[in-house]
Amino acid sequence: MAARLFSKSSSVGHTLLGALGTSLVGVGSAAREATTKLNYSDIFFQQQRTFIQMRTNLKVVDNSGAKRVMCIQALKSKKGAKLGDTIIGSVKEAQPRGKVKKGDVVYGVVVRAAMQRGRCDGSQIRFDDNAVVLVNKQGEPIGTRVFGPVPHELRKKKHVKILALAEHIA
Amino acid sequence: MRLEKCWFCSSTIYPGHGIQFVRNDAKIFRFCRSKCHKNFKMKRNPRKVKWTKAYRRLHGKDMTQDSTFEFERKRNRPLRYDRINTEKVLQAIPKISKVKAKREADHITNRLKVGKTKRKIEARKELEQSISMVKAPSAFKEDATLTLPKQKVTVSYTQTETKPMEE
Repeated sequence: MAARLFSKSSSVGHTLLGALGTSLVGVGSAAREATTKLNYSDIFFQQQRTFIQMRTNLKVVDNSGAKRVMCIQALKSKKGAKLGDTIIGSVKEAQPRGKVKKGDVVYGVVVRAAMQRGRCDGSQIRFDDNAVVLVNKQGEPIGTRVFGPVPHELRKKKHVKILALAEHIA
Repeated sequence: MRLEKCWFCSSTIYPGHGIQFVRNDAKIFRFCRSKCHKNFKMKRNPRKVKWTKAYRRLHGKDMTQDSTFEFERKRNRPLRYDRINTEKVLQAIPKISKVKAKREADHITNRLKVGKTKRKIEARKELEQSISMVKAPSAFKEDATLTLPKQKVTVSYTQTETKPMEE
């Protein structure tokens, strides 16, 4: 939800600044635009991160064909999904001729989450974005590749196949 | 157990402490506490923040080159356990840390020596330039020493009564 708010506010900023730019015309307006952009990104970076809940958009980091998935149900937990949890999602964006298409309801494992999660030794881990790997009901990945880093906690969650496919394990 | 170093302040992170942030290119940033994590989020450069080890090293505040640093090293190959060797290492640790602390203290005293001589020279200069404030020029001509003659001054000392604290 916060992400959506951010995008909305940034778009408003852009339109306002665009109007300013047309009226002023010069290098100054461009510079101002750049600074405001930076400020927005800072706010975006420092916002409070929460659970992956209904309507959270997640990046799909495998080659199943889906690009973006919206969470429609977090399994197991009432509050929402954390790193390593399984969710049910609806495919919002997909590449043509993929294994899944837009509108499909799919299962996915959260392999990266921006909200920190405690590790077994008491320290914490957090990632850059929210990302998911699509799996079938049995928990086997649909795609054949996994991009980017994944946490080693997936082994505990019995997703060894994802770990084997992953490029980096954090 | 591996003891990692904090990305921001270079202090040791003991198991179960701190937070680690994994960027999308799989670079891991480890932080010892929320202070360091917050500073990272504010996009501060540890070389420009005065309390970090990086700043102190860069500005010559701390000892950087010493043979005692050789003992603490990242080893990727696990050592085969050897009881005698381990005992020796455990015996050596306090000695090494003692030597290290001594050398670090020496480094700081050496570093502060420069300021001490500088201050002395400046004080001498000031004394020479403004001796006329305390010694008349005619008197200075007769006796060209910068020290003043010692004079006995009687100090009247009255003891004030101290009331005991009321409860």
